[in-house]
Amino acid sequence: MDSAANGIQEPFDLIRLSLSERVFVKLRGDRELTGVLHAYDGHMNLILSDVEETIMIVDQVEGAPEGHTTVNIAKRKMEMLFVRGDGVILVSPPSRT
Amino acid sequence: MSFFGFEQQQDLENEKRKFLEGGLSGAPQDDVAVFTWGEDSYDGLGDALQEGGDELNDETFGISGPVGKDFDFSGTALPEHEKPTPSQASHTQQAHQQAQQPSQASQNAQSSRENDPSHASHLDAVWSNKSPFSVLPRSNGSSRAHDQLGNSASKSSSLAPSVPQSTSMQKPASLSLGPDLHKGVHTLEEIEREMRAAAAAQHQQQLQQRQREEEEQLRLQQAQQQFEQLQLQQQLLHQQQSQSQLSNQALLQSPSRTHAPRQVPGPQHAAATPPPRMHPHSQSPRFHQQQQQHQIHLLQMQQQQQQRQLLELQEQRERQQRQQLLELQEQLRLEEMERQQQQHRMQQQQMHAGVNELMQSHLIHQRLNSGGLSPAFDNRARRVGRQSPLMTPPIPVDVPFAQNMQYLPQNIQMQQRLLAEMAQAEFLNTMQGASLPERETRESREMQEILRVEAMRKIMEAERMEEKRKRKLDKIAHMSRYNDLMTQSDKDFITRIQVSQLVTQDPYADDFYAQVYGAILRSRMGLPTSEDRVLKFGSGGGVGLGLGQKVPGRRQSAMQRMEAQVERIVNNARLREKEKSSLNNLQGALGRTAGRSYKAAPRQLLQVDSNNVSTSPTVSHASAAHISKSDAAKAQEEGEGAAREAAKIGREALRNASDSTGLVHRDPLTHREALVKLEQLYDLVLDLEQRRRDQPSPEEVEEFEQWYVYETQECSALIDQLFEQLMVSVPLEISTPHPFISLITPIKGKKLLPRVARLLDNDRMQILLTLLVACFSQLDVVLQAPLLDTLEETREVKDLESQTQAFLGSVVQSILPVIAKAQMRLVTGLFGLLLDRNDIVAIARTRPGIALLTLFLSRAEVILQNVANGSEVDETPTPDELQSWCVMLYNHLFELLRPHLPLLFPSVRLSMLSGVNFTNIPNSDAIDQPVWQFFASLACSANDAQQQVLVGGLRDVVLENVTTATKGLGLESEEQRRLRLANVNLFLHALGLDSSQIVV
Repeated sequence: MDSAANGIQEPFDLIRLSLSERVFVKLRGDRELTGVLHAYDGHMNLILSDVEETIMIVDQVEGAPEGHTTVNIAKRKMEMLFVRGDGVILVSPPSRT
Repeated sequence: MSFFGFEQQQDLENEKRKFLEGGLSGAPQDDVAVFTWGEDSYDGLGDALQEGGDELNDETFGISGPVGKDFDFSGTALPEHEKPTPSQASHTQQAHQQAQQPSQASQNAQSSRENDPSHASHLDAVWSNKSPFSVLPRSNGSSRAHDQLGNSASKSSSLAPSVPQSTSMQKPASLSLGPDLHKGVHTLEEIEREMRAAAAAQHQQQLQQRQREEEEQLRLQQAQQQFEQLQLQQQLLHQQQSQSQLSNQALLQSPSRTHAPRQVPGPQHAAATPPPRMHPHSQSPRFHQQQQQHQIHLLQMQQQQQQRQLLELQEQRERQQRQQLLELQEQLRLEEMERQQQQHRMQQQQMHAGVNELMQSHLIHQRLNSGGLSPAFDNRARRVGRQSPLMTPPIPVDVPFAQNMQYLPQNIQMQQRLLAEMAQAEFLNTMQGASLPERETRESREMQEILRVEAMRKIMEAERMEEKRKRKLDKIAHMSRYNDLMTQSDKDFITRIQVSQLVTQDPYADDFYAQVYGAILRSRMGLPTSEDRVLKFGSGGGVGLGLGQKVPGRRQSAMQRMEAQVERIVNNARLREKEKSSLNNLQGALGRTAGRSYKAAPRQLLQVDSNNVSTSPTVSHASAAHISKSDAAKAQEEGEGAAREAAKIGREALRNASDSTGLVHRDPLTHREALVKLEQLYDLVLDLEQRRRDQPSPEEVEEFEQWYVYETQECSALIDQLFEQLMVSVPLEISTPHPFISLITPIKGKKLLPRVARLLDNDRMQILLTLLVACFSQLDVVLQAPLLDTLEETREVKDLESQTQAFLGSVVQSILPVIAKAQMRLVTGLFGLLLDRNDIVAIARTRPGIALLTLFLSRAEVILQNVANGSEVDETPTPDELQSWCVMLYNHLFELLRPHLPLLFPSVRLSMLSGVNFTNIPNSDAIDQPVWQFFASLACSANDAQQQVLVGGLRDVVLENVTTATKGLGLESEEQRRLRLANVNLFLHALGLDSSQIVV
């Protein structure tokens, strides 16, 4: 099927397909989200439910050689989340295993 | 009197002449007098003479007054005090002697009077003590002269009608000595003259007494005249005051106008550090307007402040007046007592005169009663008792700037006038009767109290209002700091951008939730569910207005303003679009962005509309960003056409495929494809639902019918399309899973089904149901159901759980009415299909499977009972159907499930996995409940042998449950126990048993 027949006209149509589906969202500041997408708008503001946020904290270990960093991962969960669009880098369906 | 006065006059004249002629001969007298001036015993009489006695001197010496007056012996036109009594004569003589240059003194007085600008000539009467009541004490300093006059002349002069003159009557000798005592040193001549005068007075006492009666009468007349005169003066005063007030206001306004801009902080500040756009030429007209408004505000504020001041002043004055009134009353009472005493004495002394007096008083009474006095006087006398005109609050605020000293005299005059009125009233009252004044005084006091309270209340109110207003002004001032940072064109520019973001092709849909929520709210509040709160434009564009504002006011008007603005902007954009329609404008447009830098949504100057626009509302979204895309509606129509075309092609392709080979296997729909199709389906469903909402009210018959005919056609076409897109009619074997199953795999697909079910007729729903039953084991919720048999809480489990819930809540609920109406034939057919195409044991271990089986079994049971009752006539199943149900299907199902009966319970399965006893599985009762229901329905249709099998198979589970429930082992709450027992009983009751029969 070609994209026209699918009704895919613009990038947002692809996001629309993921409505009420679980999505993976990459955010600025080394953050990632997975949650169920409920709504979005032209600014890529998102409303997600059942969200798990993953925060990458890069620590430069003191005394360690340059470029040798450790990455700590912090996770937290939220029932419902409003994501402001200016922080969104990427929205995609979660990788299916 | 005439001869008496004449004599006096002659005396005075003599004195004068003597004084003028003999400056030298009078020297020793002068010396004596001079010596007294600096001494301690000096009592200020000289001052009194100089300041207070001017009139007397003037009259006496004929300097200021016309001479003719002195010789008006009839005395009718002459004020009482001008008529010299012997004592007065002597006193004036002394005064003459004391005052070295009386003429100069009088001149001084006169000049000082003339110097005072506020002393208009007609006010002189008030000032010059011609009123008989002006001797009364005053609290202010301006009446010093009167006080002194009262002191010095109270014994001698006849200014006060009651007290002073009576004393002069009683004790002539002491009277003559009175002033002398103060003086200390007397010349022989003086003493001699006084003695002579005293002797003459004593001699003429009887005569004098009679004369006094006459005088009294005369005085009354004069008082009346004077009063009338006073009234006239009052009127004049009022006029003058109002004039002065006017001028004052003018004065007030003009300075405030000039002051106002100085007090405006905002613009001033802005002017000090002007923002870039604050140059005069770029200032919007609203700026000036606002400045003016600001000034007006300030003006109002000042005026209000003034009013407040006036209020305070008024109150103050009232207080003063009250005090004065009290004093006055006290004084009057004293005077009254004194007078009575005196009269008593007089009567004793002059019994013969008593008759006269009686006559006199009778006469006065008559005069008073018969209205001999002027009506105005009478009225006033009556009114004054209750309230003076000054005390009534609503009188025009007469003295605007009370603090200014130049207005004080007027104020005092008013008070004096008031007091005079009151005194007069008192006087009259005392003449009329004793009880009257007391009552009236009380009344007036009460009235005053009421007025005071009223005034206080008003002041408080005014202060509150003032406070409120001040806060508001502060707020406005605070906000106005940023006034006019933007010009009107700036604002318009921003508004245009904002509005361009708001305008969409389908305002209702874009504002859908607010609209629906608003409608629900309105209906809940009992308001008429009015039409959509949407602002529409001619060519299909519009703005959703969100929830309706309940409070009309600023917001409302702002809304209206926005509407007008949006309308204007849209129209302008449309006009511009028309101008641009010629291709010339597009020269060199390739790759450029449109004129203005809409940074939010840059737009290419050259926009090519593709023909294959889908029906997706995202189109409206895309085009909404640019209002200028006026033909979006047309494009949408084209898009719909294209979509329809595409659907038709697809259908044909499908038909061809199925026609040619009968069975064409295709790859199942990918997840993405399913999602895409779902979006299309949602669009269709939303469209259909919107059409239903647009339905005109059935009352408008014609319109409704027209709509109905049209819409039914449209809708049926759309529903056809919908049904096709659901892929229900696609052969079962086309793919695994079936496309329809793929469609309801995402949770939104499941949730779509009830909405679709509302639109589809029963036949189509039966087809759908058949497909669902046939492909039941392909469902994700069935396939993955074993994953749920775990105690872990992974996200997959949670997702599957929510999917299962969605399936039960949406899909099963939407097929429920179909099954509930299904005839026996359909039930047997579907049941057979289910058994045939699915692994029934596997299905029975899933919650959706249990639910479906329970549905079929209970429906079959209902039909069988109806047959037994003979109630369901038209649905009577044929014996063949019954036979097939009982023998083929039910028995088959039973046999299939027989070895796995306990395993149908999720709790049992969980306990097998986890090793925990199934009774201890958390929440086991809740998850087991559907299974108990299934067994109950199974037991209903079971024969005796089957029942035995059921009881045997479930024996352990039942016993364990009953034991734990009754003993309460491992069960926290009573509620849990009851639930467990209820579950067991559900099954046992179907068998005709009860948990209580089980002896543990």
